[in-house]
Amino acid sequence: MQTNLPKELLATTTGERADEILRKCVHCGFCNATCPTHQVTGDELDGPRGRIYLIKEMLEGNITTSATLDHLDQCLTCLNCETTCPSGVNYGELVEIGREHIEAKNIQNKITHIKRQLICATFPYPKRFKPLYSIASLLGLAPKRKSIVAIKTATYSKKVILLDGCVQSVTNPEINHALKTLLDQCSIQAISVKAAHCCGAIHHHNGAPEKALAIIKNNIDLWWPHIENGCEAIIMTASGCGLTVKDYARILKHDKEYAQKAQRISQLTQDACEFFASFKFIKNNATYKSVAFHPPCTLQHGQRINNVVEKLLASAGFECVDFTDKHLCCGSAGTYSLLQPALATQLKTNKIYQIMQAKPDVIATANIGCLIHLQKDSSIPVKHWLELVDIQIS
Amino acid sequence: MLNQQIQSLCDTVKHAYETKQALNIQGGNSKSFYANHVDAQTISTTDLSGIIEYQPSELYITAHAGTPLQIIEDTLTEHKQMFSFEPPYYSPSTTLGGSIACGLSGPRRPYADAIRDCILGTDIINGKGEHLSFGGKVIKNVAGYDVSRLMCGAFGTLGIITQASIKVLPKPEHEITLLFEHHQQQAKKNIQDWLNSLIPITATYFQNDHLWIRISGLENIVSTIHKKLGGEKIHSSKTFWQAIKNHQADFFQTDIPLWRCIVPHNTNEIVLQGESCFEWNGGLRWIKSEETAEKVFKTCQTLNGYASLFRSKEKPADCFAPMNNQVKKLHMNLKHAFDPENILNPGRMYSWC
Amino acid sequence: MYSQKSLNTDEIHHKHMLDRSEIPALFSSCLPKACIFTSIEKLRPYECDAYTAYRSLPLAVLLPETKQQVIDIVKTCQKYQLPIVTRGAGTGLSGGAHPIENGILLNLSKLNQIYEINHELQYARVGPGVRNLAISEAASTYDLYYAPDPSSQIACTIGGNIAENSGGVHCLKYGLTVHNILEITFVNIDGEVITVGSECYENPGYDLLALLTGSEGMLAIMIQAKVKLLPKPANKEVILAAFNRIEDAGEAVANIIASGVIPAGLEMMDQAVIQATENFCQAGYPTDAAAILLCELDGFDEALQWEIQQVTQQCNQCHATSVRKANNAQEQELFWKGRKSAFPAIGQLAPDYLCMDGTIPRQHLAHVLGEISNISERIGLPVANVFHAGDGNLHPLIMYDANNAGELDKAEEIGSQILELCVSVGGTITGEHGVGIEKLNQMCVQFNSQELIQFEQVKLAFDPERLFNPGKAIPTLQRCAEFGAMHVHAGELPFKDIPRF
Repeated sequence: MQTNLPKELLATTTGERADEILRKCVHCGFCNATCPTHQVTGDELDGPRGRIYLIKEMLEGNITTSATLDHLDQCLTCLNCETTCPSGVNYGELVEIGREHIEAKNIQNKITHIKRQLICATFPYPKRFKPLYSIASLLGLAPKRKSIVAIKTATYSKKVILLDGCVQSVTNPEINHALKTLLDQCSIQAISVKAAHCCGAIHHHNGAPEKALAIIKNNIDLWWPHIENGCEAIIMTASGCGLTVKDYARILKHDKEYAQKAQRISQLTQDACEFFASFKFIKNNATYKSVAFHPPCTLQHGQRINNVVEKLLASAGFECVDFTDKHLCCGSAGTYSLLQPALATQLKTNKIYQIMQAKPDVIATANIGCLIHLQKDSSIPVKHWLELVDIQIS
Repeated sequence: MLNQQIQSLCDTVKHAYETKQALNIQGGNSKSFYANHVDAQTISTTDLSGIIEYQPSELYITAHAGTPLQIIEDTLTEHKQMFSFEPPYYSPSTTLGGSIACGLSGPRRPYADAIRDCILGTDIINGKGEHLSFGGKVIKNVAGYDVSRLMCGAFGTLGIITQASIKVLPKPEHEITLLFEHHQQQAKKNIQDWLNSLIPITATYFQNDHLWIRISGLENIVSTIHKKLGGEKIHSSKTFWQAIKNHQADFFQTDIPLWRCIVPHNTNEIVLQGESCFEWNGGLRWIKSEETAEKVFKTCQTLNGYASLFRSKEKPADCFAPMNNQVKKLHMNLKHAFDPENILNPGRMYSWC
Repeated sequence: MYSQKSLNTDEIHHKHMLDRSEIPALFSSCLPKACIFTSIEKLRPYECDAYTAYRSLPLAVLLPETKQQVIDIVKTCQKYQLPIVTRGAGTGLSGGAHPIENGILLNLSKLNQIYEINHELQYARVGPGVRNLAISEAASTYDLYYAPDPSSQIACTIGGNIAENSGGVHCLKYGLTVHNILEITFVNIDGEVITVGSECYENPGYDLLALLTGSEGMLAIMIQAKVKLLPKPANKEVILAAFNRIEDAGEAVANIIASGVIPAGLEMMDQAVIQATENFCQAGYPTDAAAILLCELDGFDEALQWEIQQVTQQCNQCHATSVRKANNAQEQELFWKGRKSAFPAIGQLAPDYLCMDGTIPRQHLAHVLGEISNISERIGLPVANVFHAGDGNLHPLIMYDANNAGELDKAEEIGSQILELCVSVGGTITGEHGVGIEKLNQMCVQFNSQELIQFEQVKLAFDPERLFNPGKAIPTLQRCAEFGAMHVHAGELPFKDIPRF
């Protein structure tokens, strides 16, 4: 597609990159077909092609108002479009540039802005988030926390790093517990670096890139000694976090001090399903028979991992049922469900409807966001697949 | 090619346009019994005869409108090809142009193509005497409105067809016809089941609890299917279908008005007095009936289909079922667009068009 | 805007004097305010469809949610003499849904309901905004599918398919859209709802169904269609054959068809495309070949075996350097992946390309490809060729860089010469993409003034005020006269005696 970005902008790294991405787009419109928001509203501006156009217009210096911001805000960043795009347009990167650019223009939606600040101030910090969550549970606004008996991991020669996660460590600690149990059975030692909670995604996607960078660098500093000590992988139980950590390399590409380390970290990062892909689980106690696996966008589109969890679940003795529109986002999309509740709820309703057509006993997923989001309206349990495998084989 | 003859036809039409004289377009005059009669000076296309272009590997044939269909089909047969719509002949004089203008398809229609599906291009003389060319020789062609296909079934009311390019297909290596004894319901159910299991059926005919189906393909496949389906293999498949297609079979030898009823093929029964038979999985029903035109039209219309009085001594004002006013208006507008003085076969298809 | 071209709208009749700001009030009784867009910022992304060489801002974009809203909108447009451009997914490659500056852009993507799948009569009843692929997905419960598969089938809508009479790779055996539509319900310019066609095997009167299909939104607005569903083929095989000479590949195509085989798909790619796709997606194509054929066969086991044998034999006789049959479904998919990636693969070689769409009788293939390469060399931009060989539909891809001044003009000149070449061998300027605004000039080459006037008369029979998609598909004689003045053929001045309309 033809572009006409101002020279000053083209002289910057982001400007040059934006132009490069924009010029890959041939405006074919395939992306709209798989865009969840475009399916709901039918508006060109709520599809990737329209958003790319809005970003192009903005970068070219044309009138930009809160209308553009609204359409960018409504994007889930599920990256379904990147899977569909025949031309390899890096939409995720472009929309990030677009969002930073519009933020810099001081165009903002006040309510969204306040919500974002609140989210950034609480979610990434378990010490702040935990009391809030406890109050919410008491008021019946959130499910009760399960108490977890910490398992003592033995010392093995094979070691991996786990990220406890910020929200997940508070709401669903049983997920990492399941992972640790499985690792222990495989004679692998799990190392949790307590001070590393959040991957940085929340700040990164909510207009606080500087703070995100600080968190990311801190994580790298905390993990690095273990990596030097021979830890062979960083294993993620939330595909959203996994995608972000795998993106550290790109985020810090131009940082002289961290670029190399970040690249190494990204290379070592694996989603739990990738790590276990070649493992054979032994079938055991069947609590649930059939399971519908909802692949999080960060797994299927972001990390392009497909059909791995399904195979693992099948090997553990589950019947994995298929359902329509599996490729679509459930509406959770990180903090999106809090910022765009109407669209998020619509997408969730659609998702649950499609899943229930297949009549499963339980829904499995691979990301904490989807899990919490779907759980709210689902009539059947929603679990992390690791929990299911753990229940099944223990 | 034949420029002189075409020019002479153009001149005749131009003169008729200027003097507002109606013209009765005639090819082989084999279907004059069909639809309405036009009382006007005859303009004949029989001088426009001959195949213009035919290369089997191109899968089309171009011929002048007045070329006898028989000559074209013989040529195709020589090259193991055919018209997949199996056009009916009501006399050996049947021409290509007349077949297109009347738009009738034969037994193979539901399993291959309708005649309108095979029109690639037509040259016509419009009601102002202008010789125009639409469509072309290729299957994929979306330049301009599909005027060439519009000529199919228009009974010459929009233009005199002077030449046409028609899609052709390879002729099946082998064909057999199997006869079964079935009630109508059972016959229709069997046909549908066989079609769903992709049995290469290429014609069906049902009459008096007897069902004939034609199977086409490689010889070994056809005989395998025969074994699978059972049924009695009839002696001459080719003759049988020719008799159905060209109305030489006994059923069609009658003085009773013969109705051609097109309905959704899953229609159970058309409740009308008279003997009937069906082709096209039940989608084409022939009924010999003395019922009033109004009743036949209405009965078929309620079934989401349409009826026409195909052959009869006495004719109603219109042989085709009436259409709603909005569609009628579009017809009249189109007629005016091609034939502003209403001189080409006026009233041939509908009395008002 | 900028250096890119804007559509010459002189020939579009400006009838009303309405200003953009007046639009919302006019339509407020037709549809919710939130479905009426008039701010320039929101209109920009609608300024073109997938044909991006030209851009114009519509007066407003309307996004109706019901059929009734469409009817009300048409009535309002007629009352105020506002032109209407109807748009589906905006994936058209010829600018058929290109907005016009004094008109409404009517986006039908919300009319995307599949109302009914009738497995007994084998049809689907759908709204215009339903995506092509969504029909087959919905029908697959009954092992049925909708046959026409344009390469944009994931995104393009059935409304757009009908408007453009879209094709795809399986047209030789299964036909174009026109062969697969049973019934159309449309809104005419008076806002009346009319249905033509039926679920029967034949319909009375003029073939309005055919006339509306491919009419590029210039006669009516389709609001519902019944489309034909077919049982899925029993089996499928894919053969890949490579040739050292394009002529050999062309001959193989003719011989395959002469042998009595009707392939479900028969595609050809030239060396430029083979190499580009191989770099892009590693489909396993032989990169040293001058041309490859990709042949898909479907049907019954024994018939299929016979067809495979015929195709293999014909390719070998035409000196194929290799003939490979895909061993399994994965390999079949891989063979097709290369073909389906041809456009994006070319997109990696040049930032922009124009995709031509001429169709020729197959016998002229080698000659036409040779001439295309001459034209490309003479004007100085590279051209790669993919080709629906089975039905003679060529897709030369002319590569250029829109950011370099003058390259679009060069590309258009090459395109123009290629299309004229197609017409000169008895072919047509467009096989499946439609004329839109892209090929208006070439229409003057394919049709004479009397034929163009006849087209115009057809238009007026439906839309006497020329409000539906004016300025598309059928050029004015004035335009042809101007175009002819630039392109005088064999010293003959075309359109010397034009009446004006």
